[in-house]
Amino acid sequence: MIEITQHNRGLTPGSQPRAQQSVIRALILAIACWVLSTPLTTVAGSAAAFSGCLLACLWLDRQHAGARLFRLRSPLIVLIIAITLAVGAAVANWLTGTSLIAQTVGAMASYQLGQMLFWVLLAAGIGLTLRLLARRHSWGSIPELLFVASAFVITLAAHQRGMIDRPYFIGDFALIRGIDPSSILMAIGVIAVLALAVLLMMENNHKRLPYHFSVLAVLCFSLLAYVQFFGMPTPSLTDDLGLTGQSAAGGGSQSDNPFRDGENDASDREAPVAIVLFRDDYEPDSGAYYFRESAYSQFNGTLLWTAEDDSLDQDLVSEFPASPIEVSDQVPAPDKRRSVTTTIGLLTPHRSPFGLDAPVRFERAPNPNSLRFRQTYTVESLVPEFSFPDLIGRQAGSPDWTVAQWTEYLEMPDDPRYGEFANELIANLRAEFAEDPYAKALAVKDWLDTNGIYSLANEHAYATDPAASFLFGDMTGYCIHFAYAATYLYRSLGIPARVGVGYSVPSANRAGGSALLIQAVHGHAWPEIYLQDLGWVIVDPTPAQTLVDMSTDPQDSLQQMLADMLRDDAAFEAFLQDQAGDSRWSLVNITRGIALLLTALLLAAYLIRFYRTQVPAWASAQNQYRLQYRAALDTLASYGIARRHGESREAFARRLAPAAPVFGVLTEDHLRVAPGYGLAPAGGWQISDQDALASRQYWQQLRKQLQLELTRSQPQWRRFIAVLHPAPWLTSR
Amino acid sequence: MQVMEAEASTTPDLSEASNVLQRLAGAVRAQVIGRDQVIELTVIALLADGHVLLEDFPGSGKTTLAKALGEAIVDDHSPSDATDAVPIAAFRRIQFTPDLLPSDVTGSPVFDTNSNTFHFRHGPIFAHVVLADEINRTSPKVQSAMLEAMGEKQVTVDNITYPLDPLFFVIATQNPLDLVGTYPLPTPQLDRFLFKITMSHIDRDAELAVLDTWQQRRDPAADRIRVGRNEILSARKSIDQHVYIADGIKSTLVDISRALRADERVVQGNSTRSLVLILPALQVLAALRGRNYVNADDLEMLLPHVLTHRVELAPGVSDFGKVLRDCMREPLEQLARSTLKTHHSSDK
Repeated sequence: MIEITQHNRGLTPGSQPRAQQSVIRALILAIACWVLSTPLTTVAGSAAAFSGCLLACLWLDRQHAGARLFRLRSPLIVLIIAITLAVGAAVANWLTGTSLIAQTVGAMASYQLGQMLFWVLLAAGIGLTLRLLARRHSWGSIPELLFVASAFVITLAAHQRGMIDRPYFIGDFALIRGIDPSSILMAIGVIAVLALAVLLMMENNHKRLPYHFSVLAVLCFSLLAYVQFFGMPTPSLTDDLGLTGQSAAGGGSQSDNPFRDGENDASDREAPVAIVLFRDDYEPDSGAYYFRESAYSQFNGTLLWTAEDDSLDQDLVSEFPASPIEVSDQVPAPDKRRSVTTTIGLLTPHRSPFGLDAPVRFERAPNPNSLRFRQTYTVESLVPEFSFPDLIGRQAGSPDWTVAQWTEYLEMPDDPRYGEFANELIANLRAEFAEDPYAKALAVKDWLDTNGIYSLANEHAYATDPAASFLFGDMTGYCIHFAYAATYLYRSLGIPARVGVGYSVPSANRAGGSALLIQAVHGHAWPEIYLQDLGWVIVDPTPAQTLVDMSTDPQDSLQQMLADMLRDDAAFEAFLQDQAGDSRWSLVNITRGIALLLTALLLAAYLIRFYRTQVPAWASAQNQYRLQYRAALDTLASYGIARRHGESREAFARRLAPAAPVFGVLTEDHLRVAPGYGLAPAGGWQISDQDALASRQYWQQLRKQLQLELTRSQPQWRRFIAVLHPAPWLTSR
Repeated sequence: MQVMEAEASTTPDLSEASNVLQRLAGAVRAQVIGRDQVIELTVIALLADGHVLLEDFPGSGKTTLAKALGEAIVDDHSPSDATDAVPIAAFRRIQFTPDLLPSDVTGSPVFDTNSNTFHFRHGPIFAHVVLADEINRTSPKVQSAMLEAMGEKQVTVDNITYPLDPLFFVIATQNPLDLVGTYPLPTPQLDRFLFKITMSHIDRDAELAVLDTWQQRRDPAADRIRVGRNEILSARKSIDQHVYIADGIKSTLVDISRALRADERVVQGNSTRSLVLILPALQVLAALRGRNYVNADDLEMLLPHVLTHRVELAPGVSDFGKVLRDCMREPLEQLARSTLKTHHSSDK
């Protein structure tokens, strides 16, 4: 597109662009400047950027090809601009920093002043450089187009990966006023397309124009079709745990090694993957919500993997619920648990449904926005509210298990180091806890907490047993290493354990609301042990030492917006309505205001028309020639007849002679007495009252005659318009 | 409006002048067919005390026009001021050729053997209407002698100055195509002509009428309209006195010429003198149209003919009409708008 446009701009280097083109191009550049500056500065600053760029472009385009400016060399000009910019930045800094200005006009004003100065200079510099290059060189308009394109791309790029409340300056603006931000982004897209179209239209080659426009149209329609058939672009994730992907019951393709998944690309850590609505209030003691999607529990000879044996892990559900699914395994100790219902909307496709530990019932939920949500379902969970005494003194495993199940939950790599090391760790336990499984697990967890180092670097992926490589090596790894190592250690102590996989979200993220946003960064693996009559208990090591910062900014507005969308459309509408209610700038109010304004304008126009028609009747005799003639001109204008620019009154009257010959008389009488034109002495005519009356009647007679002639000569529809025309006085002159 | 009409009727001189104009134009129109605008302009120039330059092809009726105009003027010269009682011819034609000498135009002193003195023999320039045919074919010295006579209304031979008649009126012609061996008139000399009129071929009906009426028009005995010389002179005076040029018109005139000078398509704009010269012409045109004030129409009609030979265009620009139209648009718009504005000049 850029190539084609550049080639046919119809603007040879060095030539002076036409006024119309130059204004449009300056506007486009200025809007791009404004868009780019908005996130970086205040409103005043971005306004300054807009006007600076606009003025600079217009000024440069007004220069003739031979102007003194063009005798300078391009690098010199760029240097001058850069120096001006540096000086401007220094002055702006000084303006903001100095206490003198702040004391006289206030701190805020001085800051605004500094911002405005800096941005007006920066934008003017950008505008000047771009336009200068475009006029100097044939390739010069490429940077111009790239600049405009980058403005749009940067604006829209923030919106990708599911961050539908970004860019903030649009998201906040929209949400405060109760507008769906996507509609604003659509509008920006439309503006971008229009800008491209305008640039295309500036071509002089009319043969290529239809071709370009059809290409543009095809692009637009293909975008529309894409959204219709494939939905909105979903966040694409690098997934190290195998959580996301196409729903696959049983998991035929899951022969991968979880240590080798993904590259841990940090760029999309914040991408939202799901939104959870809490129907019941629940705050976990552990400080994090655990959503289990799957578990690695069966040892396949090299490492733990998803159980192939159906008797294992019966608390997991692998299929999305078409009809309500009851979890086949009875969750033990319901008296020590609480029922919490959540509704989950998946923004990216997942392999299996997940739920808050421990889910008992999955049910499909209506999807309010199928473009946004891949799956929506409701989960009823029995969340553990175990106290420490509940956990202590329990037996490991379940008496109901078969020998095979026991074996599976205890099987581990044939590596004596695990057993030796685990026994070493529990050696210091007090005597009363020496045989307690939970105490033993805690001892292991405690050691890992203290000595493990959290890092995203994956040094162990290609070891035969990555967990051993981690545990007996540098102790540096991420959740999956800790989870496997802990599980093997638990198992070596005779405690049935497995690796739970899913999401772990800090409970602070809920921010007191009833919704929780799950982001890619929350993907997690953790070890869990089975205690008799309690079920699976998560004993998750959290290393104190960490090499990476895994914290993310809370996405409160996105969380709230997605939650409102998931609740249902009506609720979302209500939310928008609610937001809009107290805003003076809602769409409804704006529309109403515009309508009111238009009505007022229309009324004012009619009033002016009426006044100008009637005022000659009581005007002084000296003014008859002027006001009567003006009224006659208004009458003509209401029929759409007006004097052309530069046409003399006599020529106009002659042009009208076939339709309204009396207008010639009117014109002559008017001009003859007009001061500075005809014979009128300085100060106008002195006319006695008698004459004035006669004069007024004379003029009225002529005007009546004019009306009559127009009625005869003009077609019916023109007469109709003439009656209704609100503002003939705008075109009469 | 009776007031206004009364005002108009208080200028009988003007109606007389208007009558003179109509009669003159009528006399020429009877002889020259299909050239109404040229006739009008020529009569205006005569009354405005200017001269005209016709650019036209041979055989298009220039001589006929000049002759008809000259013959329409009767010399009612009163014999009292016959100090140099030279009979002034109504019409003379000078064919300019490269070998013509100034004395061929002005006349020269001739030795009289009877009185043993020189006495001045008047040249063809001593006439009311002089047709200077193909003025660009003669040498610059003859041209300058001719132009001095036009500018000063006098002829100087051997340090003796001979005044020309106040009615002295020159119609010069030049052929726009056949330029080989010519001495084109420079811009300052062209400034002596009030109008430059570029004529085109007359339309079909007019051409047919020329053929039809050729016989009658040739008849010398036919009764023709005549206008007295003194009548014309007094018409000049009364038009000058009674046709009003408003401030708005004058400022529009100045604005237009300023716009012309500022236009980048114009190398040299018109002189201030041209603005002074156009005023009487405007007055005459207004009187011809039966008006006692000059209006925008008069400006629009006369300006092209007055300015076309006084403005030098930039290389590559040929359409003076378009340049002038562009420059006139804004001043005329201002003039038209001014009539609807309130004037408070009485406060001063």
